[in-house]
Amino acid sequence: MNWQDRWKPVSVELADPLEGLACEPGYAGIRTVFFWKGVALGHCWIAATQLPLAPQHLASIASGTVAQAVGDYLVAQGFQSALPGLPEPTPENAEGTLKSLLAIERPLAELNLEPEPKSGCESRTVSIVICTRERPDDLARCLASLEACTERPVEILVIDNAPQSDATRLAVERFPDVKYYCETQRGLSAARNAALAHAVGDIVAFIDDDAIAHPGWIGRVPHAFDDPEVMVVTGLVLPAELETPAQRIFEESYRFFHHGYRRRKFDVAYFARLKDKGVPVWSIGAGANMAIRRSAYEQGFRFDTRLGPGVFGGCGEDSEFWYRVLARGWSCVYDPSLCIYHHHRRELRDLRRLIFEYMKGHVAALILQFANHRRLGDLRRLLLALPLEYGMLLARLVASRFAVDNRILLRGAAGCFVGLGFAFRLHRTPDRAVAGQIRLPICSQAQPAEWNQNATNR
Amino acid sequence: MWNSAKQRYRIFEIELADPLPEIAVPADCSGMAAVIRLRGTPVGFFMEPMRGPATLGSSELASRILRHAGKQIVSERIYREKKPLVAPARSPAIDIAICTHNRPDALAACLKSLFTTGEIHGPIRVLVIDNAPPDDRTREVAAAFPAVRYVLEPKPGLDFARNRAIEEAEGELLAFLDDDVTVDPGWLERLQDAWAANPDAGAFLGPILPMELETRAQIVFERMGGFGKSFERIRYGSTLPDVETYPVGAGIFGAGANMVFRLDVLRKLGGFDDALDTGAPLPGGGDLDMFYRVARAGYALVREPGMLVFHQHRREYGKLRRQMWTWGLGAMAYITKSWRAEPEQRRKIRQWVLWWLVYQMGKLLAPVLRRSSKRWPWDMVLAEIVGGIVGLCGEYVRSRRRVERLRRRFA
Repeated sequence: MNWQDRWKPVSVELADPLEGLACEPGYAGIRTVFFWKGVALGHCWIAATQLPLAPQHLASIASGTVAQAVGDYLVAQGFQSALPGLPEPTPENAEGTLKSLLAIERPLAELNLEPEPKSGCESRTVSIVICTRERPDDLARCLASLEACTERPVEILVIDNAPQSDATRLAVERFPDVKYYCETQRGLSAARNAALAHAVGDIVAFIDDDAIAHPGWIGRVPHAFDDPEVMVVTGLVLPAELETPAQRIFEESYRFFHHGYRRRKFDVAYFARLKDKGVPVWSIGAGANMAIRRSAYEQGFRFDTRLGPGVFGGCGEDSEFWYRVLARGWSCVYDPSLCIYHHHRRELRDLRRLIFEYMKGHVAALILQFANHRRLGDLRRLLLALPLEYGMLLARLVASRFAVDNRILLRGAAGCFVGLGFAFRLHRTPDRAVAGQIRLPICSQAQPAEWNQNATNR
Repeated sequence: MWNSAKQRYRIFEIELADPLPEIAVPADCSGMAAVIRLRGTPVGFFMEPMRGPATLGSSELASRILRHAGKQIVSERIYREKKPLVAPARSPAIDIAICTHNRPDALAACLKSLFTTGEIHGPIRVLVIDNAPPDDRTREVAAAFPAVRYVLEPKPGLDFARNRAIEEAEGELLAFLDDDVTVDPGWLERLQDAWAANPDAGAFLGPILPMELETRAQIVFERMGGFGKSFERIRYGSTLPDVETYPVGAGIFGAGANMVFRLDVLRKLGGFDDALDTGAPLPGGGDLDMFYRVARAGYALVREPGMLVFHQHRREYGKLRRQMWTWGLGAMAYITKSWRAEPEQRRKIRQWVLWWLVYQMGKLLAPVLRRSSKRWPWDMVLAEIVGGIVGLCGEYVRSRRRVERLRRRFA
């Protein structure tokens, strides 16, 4: 694999008449995501040698790429995605399903993915939250993408986490409708908790500062919560660019954000089936694109401040939160119709650090889950499955003669070991986000008090 | 399962446009297979053992159809929905060459099926290349069909016959069919459609399904994967993202029993390599070599699911084992040839050979290593591996020398 090649991410809307695909000079090919009325249905890699592509060939590629997702949306049975850790579901009532499938002559035309105007849905308000730290340019890009969305949220909140300068505040100032809060306690979990405490919407939707939203993102968030059991919804994260080896390796080799184009529901039954084997909560989605009912906060759900970027457990605050949501009997849903584009780390150095943090956080989250719930499944994952997985990966590393993408695994392995240290810190540093203990975010000393007040009032 | 004496699978045709048929496996059958079609286009195939007499309930059948053809049904319909209307200005002139050696009955069946696919006249011509015949029977069979041209090629070897077809052909497309296949009624029309959508492509390949599953050898062969039964419509280019060794593993494209090329591309590439596919002792690899060269020359290879043929698999177990041996041998002879021809591809070729060895070993060890439902009889796998190793050990060079002698003899 030549990681030096640049690939161009491109979207093709199938609802429009198909035009061919043109060559992108300087790119090894294009990564095409096929959409139907704003909902992503699949992607494929088309090499530059295949370009330009005539409309009939694009139709052929598109039909094979989107078929599984279209089938899932149309008849579900027989097309559903297997849930992580479980075998493929066997279709019930195959005869009826086949009959209805065969009755659909024009699958795309009959694919109704428009959010249904359902009673109760319109009244569900959405707060958009961006937790950020010293990335004013990324933040401005993200805010601009939110402005370009077709629907307006009830509010957009920027949580500035333990800022060192007022760059973030100044960036937010350029967007008059955006509220700014400053959370001095370091850590993404603290920032997320602050957002939950302050948001006014019924649903709090988090988007990472280094991502941009698809124009339909905001409008679709409330509909994802039509099912009253659902407490958390995660969405699809597509690459915004694939310009550097680090970005390509993150996208293709690690696939942290790959959860497919079919909806998955993780419910009580799922949790019950896998709790003794270890519930793969990290496969539910990505914290970069997740929405939570605000009522979760009222029920006492908090992000554990010992996990997440900014503190020792460098990641895993999202999946550990989902674990508790499932354990308490609520459901999580992965809904690929909520789509954002993420700018992956451009430098290999940053990617290595990220993988280190990911694995450290993963191990820390497993330790914490075991400490909180005492389910052997998490211990099994930690002491059996993870070492086994890494053993295989290391074998792959040797087999690939230390290829650059596999070399990063070593950082991951190091992260795992360091993460074990979390067990010793567990009781020394208590979770500061326990209900009642959470502090209302206050402004850091660097900023004048009246500014914060102004921002809140706007 | 492989050792039970009598095995016989009944093959059913399921047309999804009609109500689901009753699947009744008779008492003398040990299983069933089904070709699933949507308005004539094949969308799936499955086979499974079943102790006859037995019937498959409609809900059981429906769940199998969903599993084996569901995705392809949706894909096919989306393609029809989104495909821009490409009105072919004209039909291409096609020569259909059937290279045959001493199999008059099979040839007659093949020709008969070809004449049911449509009007064979005008720009559509049929060529029978009779390769080193021991008697006159093939000529007589060909003479029974009015529009068939009979050509005799005395040099024994399939690729001599194929190259003779290239010499004799006049059309834009040259189709090669094995004498032991019968073509599906839609074959010719779908080839024309595929050409209309891809006039620039170098080759068109279609799926190859079993004509019958009457013996253990045929069932074993089909279970091992047969000729590859992908029903996806794919246009292969000169690279394939994710597959680093592409196009070295040329078996993904199709097989020589059902292949169509643009005649000018064949002529430009200098025809088939007659040191491959010489009949015993090296009866294979010529098709793979041609696919590889077409892809390397930058032409697209198109897989069209509607270009379906049915192949008469080897009935005898011993002959099947020999066929697997020649598959390994032919593939590796072609690999050796490519290794010599294109030094800049050697890294890919080495990688592919390594992959092939690991893959074959995996097949051999599958029953031990995994509780996999896929099981290959060890003697077949071993035959292919040994064939492959012999192929790597200079078989191509030996074959070149043999062919040189042959050429001198017939010059």
